[in-house]
Amino acid sequence: MRALLAVLWKDLLTEWRSRERLSAMGVFALVVVVILYLAAPPPPGAETPQARAGLLWIAYAFAAVLGLNRTFALELENQAISGLALASVERGLLFLGKALACFPPLALVWAGAALAFGLAFGVDFRPVLGGFALVAGLGALGVCGIGTLFAAMAVRSSHREILLPLLLLPLLAPLLLGCARATDALLESGALPWPELQLLLVTDGVFWIVSYLGFGAVLDE
Amino acid sequence: MSALRPQAAVQAEPEAADSARWLLRGRGLAKRFGALTALHPLNLEVSRGETLALLGPNGAGKSVLLHILAGLLRASAGELLRPGAPDRAAARRSVGLVGHASFLYPALSVQENLRLAAHLHGLPDASARARRELAAAGLWEAAELRAGALSRGLAQRAAVARALVHEPALLLLDEPFTGLDTRAADALARRLAARRAAGSAAVIVTHNLARASGLADRALLLRRGRGIWLPAADLASPQLLAAACDRALNERGAP
Repeated sequence: MRALLAVLWKDLLTEWRSRERLSAMGVFALVVVVILYLAAPPPPGAETPQARAGLLWIAYAFAAVLGLNRTFALELENQAISGLALASVERGLLFLGKALACFPPLALVWAGAALAFGLAFGVDFRPVLGGFALVAGLGALGVCGIGTLFAAMAVRSSHREILLPLLLLPLLAPLLLGCARATDALLESGALPWPELQLLLVTDGVFWIVSYLGFGAVLDE
Repeated sequence: MSALRPQAAVQAEPEAADSARWLLRGRGLAKRFGALTALHPLNLEVSRGETLALLGPNGAGKSVLLHILAGLLRASAGELLRPGAPDRAAARRSVGLVGHASFLYPALSVQENLRLAAHLHGLPDASARARRELAAAGLWEAAELRAGALSRGLAQRAAVARALVHEPALLLLDEPFTGLDTRAADALARRLAARRAAGSAAVIVTHNLARASGLADRALLLRRGRGIWLPAADLASPQLLAAACDRALNERGAP
């Protein structure tokens, strides 16, 4: 448990001191929201701008991939990843520390992107803030879980910036689709979309279990 | 006993009395990268209280062998035995590695790096160990400095401290004297000698024959991935060692 907390603390402290990942993800998410707005602006006088809220998940996905790439890039400096591989604690604890450390910066960037998206597209998230936070939180958990495993896989490749999205985005598609549908349903009805939430819970569970079990093999390769 | 068996040949377990003496035994260790053979099958043992010098020209396979011994590289063939290490975790805990890179996180201070390294071995007294290692390495003044801001020499000393924070039985060092001034290099040599006297073992990759001669009990010369054991008598002085290396490298018919 101490190892888990130590890895979590190390990643968060590194991020706090550099703010590299936060700023890169934040700017990128904002740019994607602006591009989406320019490409598909809400029609003037549209009655249901909420129906477009699913588009937000495009910005979320791209920002997440950028952040995940950075998660393991910091392990390459001074070959710190070798120090991690030499650790004698259970590999799953290292995974949990790394994956949980992804969550706070991602959640922060996603919150900022939601605000920008709401302003650009005229979507009011305030009446459903709790439900939206739950959907986004489940989405972020899934992304952090499987994303950490794939970022670890891609990190030793010289083409990791390309490899990670190629590997990860197809896998994330069901999760992101579920999140987008849940967001749309939430905004339309104001009620929690239980079928979608159940799907997200199951997907998150599968992602985290697979990643927890597979991380050791990836790190040892 | 932990046995890492990449393409393991079935071999008899060493006798109990024998295995109490040595910390690590490699049998037929070899490494290929595609068509390139970086390390031809090699047998070696490292015993408690022993320092083994790995010598040889650049590209001879010294670092590859060191990484195999550390468990960072998987051998293409052969087996690596570690008595007293019932599983992989124990095997990793028994080893400390100082590589070409420092393994330090640049955004963390030296002390934070050492504490993290101790936590990565599940040690409950990580802060105390970090402080003890800072004192032993003479790094108190640099304790709060970020690792990314350290000079080459300080980073090397911090890297050694990082490798020693969990008190491994076997220390693997790749060019540990690089970047150190004479005083720091002497301090490291004294520390290695003290560890050896306390029963710990070390494998040192070095081009510095004076240090190898002063520290090592045995020397293995690698040439194009093939190992040549040098007579122990040649470690008596750097000059003898240099002459032995020259002979082995230039010997006609040598691998």
